Amino acid sequence: MTAQEIFDILKTQFGDAIIETKFDTMQPWVRIAPNKTKEICFFLRDDSAMQFDYLSCLSGMDYNTGTFGVVYHLASIVHKHKIVLKAFCTKDNPHIQSVSAVWGTANWHEREVFDLYGIIFDEHPDLRRLLMPDDWEGHPLRKDYKVQEFYHGMKVPY
Amino acid sequence: MGLLDQRFENGNVFITSLDGLLNWARLSSLWQMQFGLACCAIEMMAASASNFDIMRFGVIPRATPRQVDVMFVAGTVTIKMASRIKRLYDQMSEPRYVISVGSCATCGGPYWEHGYHVLKGVDRVIPVDVYIPGCPPRPEALLEGIMKLQEKVRKESMVKKRA
Amino acid sequence: MLTEFGKAFIFFLLGVIFVILGLFGAWIFRPRRPYPEKNATYECGEEPVGSAWIRLNVRFYVIALVFLIFDVEVAVLFPWALVYRQFGLFGFLEMAVFLVILFVGYAYVWLKGDLDWDKPKPEIPIMKRTLVAETEIESKHVLVDDDGIVE
Repeated sequence: MTAQEIFDILKTQFGDAIIETKFDTMQPWVRIAPNKTKEICFFLRDDSAMQFDYLSCLSGMDYNTGTFGVVYHLASIVHKHKIVLKAFCTKDNPHIQSVSAVWGTANWHEREVFDLYGIIFDEHPDLRRLLMPDDWEGHPLRKDYKVQEFYHGMKVPY
Repeated sequence: MGLLDQRFENGNVFITSLDGLLNWARLSSLWQMQFGLACCAIEMMAASASNFDIMRFGVIPRATPRQVDVMFVAGTVTIKMASRIKRLYDQMSEPRYVISVGSCATCGGPYWEHGYHVLKGVDRVIPVDVYIPGCPPRPEALLEGIMKLQEKVRKESMVKKRA
Repeated sequence: MLTEFGKAFIFFLLGVIFVILGLFGAWIFRPRRPYPEKNATYECGEEPVGSAWIRLNVRFYVIALVFLIFDVEVAVLFPWALVYRQFGLFGFLEMAVFLVILFVGYAYVWLKGDLDWDKPKPEIPIMKRTLVAETEIESKHVLVDDDGIVE
């Protein structure tokens, strides 16, 4: 199935939650609303024509304009097609609905995104820091991140 | 002392001081706590294997800090790991030495500029005796580091105040 | 002048003295600088959590006990093996009786299952819902039961 077909099916199913698509790039993507990601992903996983049963990757993005995003790379082992979903949110309201109920692997991927970007995933079962120590200040991969001077008596910058 | 004068010049007697004897005993059996964290650990394994063989220097790997003399910090030290290194160094018994293997453990290595999670040099948490530069250092460099530590141990003394 | 036992005793004594000298020498020369962080329990670098005493499975104790009994039996067999010829048939039968008694005990332990090293059975996860892809594009959902496929 091409990205255009997937976009059409999603648009008829969900209407306003599907915002735009860009299918002339190497990896065609569909932009979805951040508060409906779980519904859309359940549909993508369970629908017999799509069956995206494999979440290849879930990554965070900081677009440097005050917008954050989460990029989902989905693949279907049954039908052998792929799609990329993007969900954007602002820095002031960094909330995106979690998809860890859809694919179990999203649990730790979303924890990593929370740890490094500060995007809060609603309805996530266990949202806490994964890579950085638990009492670290700040979210390191943000574009405006300044590393802290001291951590438990150790000097952090060079 | 006419009895003992010029009787032992053929090399059949060996005299030493207590310091010399103890230091020789200590440097010939520097048991190590292998602390392989990252890529330098592979070089440490290569040095322990048959081609370079640090065991012939008396350096046996032990898993616990209680039974070791030297800790090879081989690899990138992250901030999360640094508190564990401090605790393990505390649990080693004197006389204890630290060899920092590779540039990540010496100064943060390639992560010195942008690595927010890397401790720029393990000497920010524990005192280091020998630094081995390299990314990663060849096993021969590791052996040279061990020999440098042996030289340092040879010069120690029970009566001299240590730093 | 000295019996054979006496010579063995001297040997044993020298061994003990060697060990004591070594430990005593180490005690004189080693540094002793304890402080609280050094005396903390070792837990691979983490803060120690919980008690250091763990409960072992009782099967270790059972096997050790059974081993001890039969080890003593073997230890008794050795001197008998050296001298049984001069006692003839009587010596042989005496040891045979001893072995039969112990063999009855061994059979009891074996048949009771005390020598089995039980491993827990691995639990195979039962899939309640799975997808079956056919050669055509169409795929359908099937429910898998314990016995087979039920549509």
